Amino acid sequence: MVYVKWVFWGLFWTGVIAFLHYTLPQHDVVRITDTYEKRVNPGDNSLFWSNADTGADPTATERDVFFIQTFRANDKPMIYRNEDTGWGWPPYFKFDTSNLQAEASDMMSKKSAENAQWVVVRHYGWRNEFFSIYPNAVSIWPVAGPDVQIIPWVKIVILLLLAASAWAIRVRWRRFWNGREKQGDTEWGVGRG
Amino acid sequence: MVALMRLLIFGLIALTVLYLAISWYSRSVRRRKMERDWEEAGRPGDRNTYIETGMAQYEQSLRKRLIWLVYIVPVVTVVVIIYLTNFM
Repeated sequence: MVYVKWVFWGLFWTGVIAFLHYTLPQHDVVRITDTYEKRVNPGDNSLFWSNADTGADPTATERDVFFIQTFRANDKPMIYRNEDTGWGWPPYFKFDTSNLQAEASDMMSKKSAENAQWVVVRHYGWRNEFFSIYPNAVSIWPVAGPDVQIIPWVKIVILLLLAASAWAIRVRWRRFWNGREKQGDTEWGVGRG
Repeated sequence: MVALMRLLIFGLIALTVLYLAISWYSRSVRRRKMERDWEEAGRPGDRNTYIETGMAQYEQSLRKRLIWLVYIVPVVTVVVIIYLTNFM
């Protein structure tokens, strides 16, 4: 019977960690090779696309989406999409998609180029070829080379806050139940006695 | 625009619920402290008067005004995120 408890908590924490891994920002150092726009009609995987109706018709499912093609330091490709998140979830409040596309376009450099232009892409989301989902690029800035160290401050702060509040809740939960056991269970005996 | 209205309305409701909950909790903690203080100070005078004076002082205090941070902090955070994401 105790396996049920383990499985439940295992699934719970897997869900929490997956959610955080998807939503919190990550940084990749890549070389941009192309930017393009493609018509997309999200169906089963629409959870992983943003339709943030910043000015456009919110009911239309088919729309044109910006993409940014990049290569990582190990010469493997990584494609990002570039969509507004608007006022919706996740709370990046990204409205400057077109600006970002222009900046990305400006920093393209092919493999054969003498000086490859390396950039950091801050993004959230997952790349999964099987489901055709792409991470959403939030901002881009140039860096000197592929070996720069990026410290993910926002992730650190948010995870610390979450851990602190989880611990605070756990402590109070324990205190409450320990208090109840000591007092014993009278019929109306909940309180400070 | 509709999405912004939705965010504002739900945000307002959620923050108001949080504000009221924290307000009530803070006031009840304060009241219990007043009751304990009266005991510890050697029971000077009428219990209810002592407690009500203490609560009146609480109503004017900084501690009560700090609860407004429940509204201010999320709004400031959102504005900062918008600036950092879009204008930097």
